[in-house]
Amino acid sequence: MANYITSLNQMIAARCAKVPRGVLFGQNINTGTFISGLSKNLTVAEGGRIINNANCENTLCGAGFGMMLGGVHAVYFAKQLDFMLLGMDHFCNTFNFIRCSRNLESLGSFQIIMLVCDQGFQGPQSSFDSYGDFCSIARIPCYTLNNNRDAEDILDMQLAVPGFRMIALSSRLCRTEFLQLEKVYRSDDCSVFQYTEGADATIVGFNFAFHEGHLLFQKMQERGLSAELFSANYVPEPSWDRIIESVARTRRLVVLDDSKSVHLPCYQLLDAIHEAGISFRRVIVTRKQVDFGMTDDKFPVDYEGIVSQLAAAPSPV
Amino acid sequence: MPAQRDLQLALRVMQIRHWQHIVNEAMKKGVMGAVHTAFGHEAIAVAVSTMMQTEDQLVLTHRNIAYNLARAGALRPIYDEYKQRPSGVSRARLGSMNMANPPRGLPYTSSILGNNMPVACGLALAQQVLGKSGIVTVLTGDGAMEEGTFYESLQFSKSQKLRIIFVVENNKYAMASTPEDRRCPIAIEHICRAMDIPFLKLEGNLVADYAMQLEECRRAVLDRQGPSCIEVDLLNLNRHAGATPGWPTDPMNIDASRGLVVRESVYDPVHVLKQRLAPDVYAGIEQQVLSETWSD
Repeated sequence: MANYITSLNQMIAARCAKVPRGVLFGQNINTGTFISGLSKNLTVAEGGRIINNANCENTLCGAGFGMMLGGVHAVYFAKQLDFMLLGMDHFCNTFNFIRCSRNLESLGSFQIIMLVCDQGFQGPQSSFDSYGDFCSIARIPCYTLNNNRDAEDILDMQLAVPGFRMIALSSRLCRTEFLQLEKVYRSDDCSVFQYTEGADATIVGFNFAFHEGHLLFQKMQERGLSAELFSANYVPEPSWDRIIESVARTRRLVVLDDSKSVHLPCYQLLDAIHEAGISFRRVIVTRKQVDFGMTDDKFPVDYEGIVSQLAAAPSPV
Repeated sequence: MPAQRDLQLALRVMQIRHWQHIVNEAMKKGVMGAVHTAFGHEAIAVAVSTMMQTEDQLVLTHRNIAYNLARAGALRPIYDEYKQRPSGVSRARLGSMNMANPPRGLPYTSSILGNNMPVACGLALAQQVLGKSGIVTVLTGDGAMEEGTFYESLQFSKSQKLRIIFVVENNKYAMASTPEDRRCPIAIEHICRAMDIPFLKLEGNLVADYAMQLEECRRAVLDRQGPSCIEVDLLNLNRHAGATPGWPTDPMNIDASRGLVVRESVYDPVHVLKQRLAPDVYAGIEQQVLSETWSD
């Protein structure tokens, strides 16, 4: 089985090849390492373009919106989330102009497909991983690709569809096995995916922490516990109902969010559950301390501790 | 005797001046919020609008009033947008600094300095990909050209062979400061030469002259399949934004009752027309323009 980056590259390339008159662009998109393997073997349908651009991220982001306004499907392949900070003006201001004054269905589309450097060891200026929080500033729908199931649905439902969105892959997963999962549920807006059903806990992975959530699920299984496993994406006005219903049944919630920012997307879910008036026990795993220097960016999770806690704790009434 | 086309161009410049007076007087009365008026920018605005063909697009800045008036050919839709009325040109969704008019070739206007040039590049690339025949013209100024996107967009447009004209309105001010106040001199011509981008400087604010030179520039962009850059020497004859005068001791004073001319200078396109046209011809156009009745 191909690894995470190879599998996702194949899925992305296959879909880009079908985009009518698509413009695929980015720095080193068709040379060198092909953005660490992200943009290998790209082809376009008749009339499309593959453009290897100079280093001008702000302009590339603005040009993506210009192409969208002009009726073209534009796909910007980017090396890392840090670079997208240079395009924030366009995500906020240009996108605001478009969505408040134009019917998006009459336009082309713009998507940024990128890696997020969350694997560490690249220094203090290449480790920005707060993808959901970043997108929430401008209310941009953003999706992480974690496994075969969410990748298939997100790419099929979002790529080259009128509008703007970001789709991201995790650098720290690049060489890992590509998870093959079955889907129990997916919300229409792709904000929530559910993979398992169970009685003892609800597990939700945010940002790039789904794999840790999946590992926790496996550890629970080894101890004879079952769980409902979800991945969540930052989408404006997300559909949390399925997760809230799950927590109402299991009364135990484990949230994992590896974002480095202070305002974590997972807090929005916790607010929604409290608003629903559900009493539940919770385990929230986040980065309590962030080292701004060169460091191993692995997201530490005390699996055994959490499983023991879940096994020992009675369900709240 | 000037050609009929030149008289039409003069009429449009003077109409836009008259309409700006109406907006300025409304701001003085306090019945309208602050607008970035553009007294002094009328000649280049009319020339750009005249140059535009069916599939051409124009991308503007916060100081867009003269271009929006030129493209709309009327004050009412612009005025109503300022007043946040549903009958406004952008259905009261965009206001003064982002005013756009897609059916008239104005797909995007930005109030953020330097933001609009990358978007214009994308529009030009879309034209190329979709096999359209138009060009994109993007406005910027002596302030916005200090932003990195000016350099980036020149480079991007040259690299991708985009049919785009960058128009730098050098009105000598970024809000209250002059280029000399805030930076070293920047020779745009040299920046363009470094990237092999043709450069043209427009001076004199004579609308017929500008229209002719822009049409030549458009033809060259189409022939060459690549960008051009134009620097326009002009002055903004009013305050940065809002009514002029803005306060009792404001050194600048614009008053509609004194006629269309604001300053007896080469930087006032209406004054330039007054100098060029026979007095009776000028008076005839002025009378035609001022006879338009207006109510809020």
